[in-house]
Amino acid sequence: MSNLREKILDLVKSYYQEKFIEKKYNPETDRIHYAGRVFDEDELVNLVDSSLDFFLTSNRYAEEFEASFAEFLGISSALLVNSGSSANLVALTALTSPKLGERRLKPGDEVLTVAAGFPTTLAPIIQNHLVPVFVDVSLGDYTAIPERMIQAISPKTRAIMMAHTLGVPFDLDIVLDLVKRHNLWLVEDNCDALGSTYRDKLTGGFGHIASHSFYPAHHITMGEGGCVVTNDEFLEKIARSIRDWGRDCYCTGGENNTCGKRFSQQFGSLPYGYDHKYVYSHIGYNLKLTDMQAAIGVAQLKKLPSFIAARKNNFRFLLEMLQPYEDCLILPKALPNSDPAWFSFVITVRPDAGFTRNELTRFLEVNMIETRNLFSGNLLKHPAFENIERRVVGDLYNTDLIMNNTFFIGVYPGIKAPHIEWIASVFHRFMTGERV
Amino acid sequence: MTVIRKICCVVHKIVKHGNGVYTLELFPEKSLPVFRPGQFLHLALDVYDPSGFWPDSRAFSIASSPQVRDKLRVSYAVKGQFTGRMERELTEGKKVWIKLPYGEFVVEGESPTALIAGGTGITPFCGFLEDLRPNQANDIYLFYGARCADLLIYRELVTKVAQSVLRFFPYYFVEIAPISTTSSNNFHPRIGLLAIEQIWSHLSNPLHTIYYLSGPPLMCQTFSTELRACQVPLDHIRIDAWE
Repeated sequence: MSNLREKILDLVKSYYQEKFIEKKYNPETDRIHYAGRVFDEDELVNLVDSSLDFFLTSNRYAEEFEASFAEFLGISSALLVNSGSSANLVALTALTSPKLGERRLKPGDEVLTVAAGFPTTLAPIIQNHLVPVFVDVSLGDYTAIPERMIQAISPKTRAIMMAHTLGVPFDLDIVLDLVKRHNLWLVEDNCDALGSTYRDKLTGGFGHIASHSFYPAHHITMGEGGCVVTNDEFLEKIARSIRDWGRDCYCTGGENNTCGKRFSQQFGSLPYGYDHKYVYSHIGYNLKLTDMQAAIGVAQLKKLPSFIAARKNNFRFLLEMLQPYEDCLILPKALPNSDPAWFSFVITVRPDAGFTRNELTRFLEVNMIETRNLFSGNLLKHPAFENIERRVVGDLYNTDLIMNNTFFIGVYPGIKAPHIEWIASVFHRFMTGERV
Repeated sequence: MTVIRKICCVVHKIVKHGNGVYTLELFPEKSLPVFRPGQFLHLALDVYDPSGFWPDSRAFSIASSPQVRDKLRVSYAVKGQFTGRMERELTEGKKVWIKLPYGEFVVEGESPTALIAGGTGITPFCGFLEDLRPNQANDIYLFYGARCADLLIYRELVTKVAQSVLRFFPYYFVEIAPISTTSSNNFHPRIGLLAIEQIWSHLSNPLHTIYYLSGPPLMCQTFSTELRACQVPLDHIRIDAWE
């Protein structure tokens, strides 16, 4: 039987060679994506191996991934979920748990955030009946302006939930000081920033709880997938409950009575000894992922250090090549003390550049270079968020500028030297006057 | 909780203490995950195929120090079907599977602490005791009872800790008086069951002490009730409760 399995996996390796082997790059026909899956036979073998287990729900690969991921980040607990957005939802919802007593976030409490970002950093704040407080961001690093954050704190402020946008760590000196001085919760949305460091420590380990995404655009992928990490075991238990239907029991699928108290506890007004497996202490969700996704993640995680290095290299080459155009373009930069594992290469067209963002992105797209806007631009201009209860501190001038003038191109490890050269040549053509 | 790991282990050593009480020393095939003193593991006797379901298992407190990552110690008393199988089937060199760490019964020692252990109920305290520093800041009391002196299976560890930690105060209780030949000069256990009146007078500040109870359910229940009756706040009483 095991021999048969080995034969299948050997065939998978051959299949990989036949189906996915890299072809020679042709700039005329091959689009340079802003992101994408980078994998080899290891991912395919793990995926098939897991499918042959046919366990389907989280099992050995999920366990291995969670342990290795926690170790990589230097964090005690990692909890896989089915997306980065789910990770944000679980992370923030965990802070509303009645189990936290007076420390819990309650409806109407304010959460400091930014509008220049991805909707599912903001959505959990609204879904939990909390009030987002928006501050503007700086151009170039696209992180919250420290003075605005300080100004934004009110007696109702209870938490900060922000992303390290596009891989750039926000000012953690200021944020951690605010957290300490005002006894706030910090939720780090680390979905874009796996591998970024601040003062030589990996982001995702500064907050009380943090989220990660393994969507194909991110640093590693499982197709869909995400992870909540924390050093607080109590928060982890709450997060697990929220992920797993809201139940109190932490047994995984197929397990029974791991706690040894399955039939001997009192919960709420249930009869004494009611089966712990079906006791619910939170209004939860089912946000778990499959072992097949985790199997891909296990192989991807081993490649993460090389992926991070490739992203940094690609970023460096692009920066070098685009620096001559700084009079027209605001090029990306990191904050002092930080070393981003860049998600992308983000560019803002200066208002007086003499051309628009859309003219430039159209030219790039026609020339097979994929572009993306900085996610939602200004979230408050979107139909879903226009009328939400919120507080805005100062203006959102830069956020609006980002909405109109900012875009990014890729730095992901699938981009190699010939792609970079092509990107440089296309930029050069545009900057010397060529248009579509 | 820390990420749970499932690990294959080799039974390196089996110590028979008599009266159906055993200690196992296990060598894990990979490094143990981080755990905290007082936490427990699940041990399975049947072969576990990681691609399938976890087999029938039973929980045992980890009786070794969290600092030691390449071996583990658990102790058990034969009481039911599973421990009966352990007694019959386990031999040195046999492979077993464990998964760990679990549990919130974590001994912290941040305040004056009374550890009340009945029989193999000592095991969740062993890792904590082993890691005590000589200059430990708070008073740590151990009230350790068993049927007879031979079943105070961690007496050697307790004695060793007592020799190096100034603020550690162990007291032993046995139901059956030791015969003089087995009793060393320094070993004078109280005779009788562990009971609140036996321990109260030894504590310098009983109302500000954190109590950890581990042992037979009846012992834990009785102590808990009596501590409450003595006005000990509920959040000062931590119980290692098992069905």
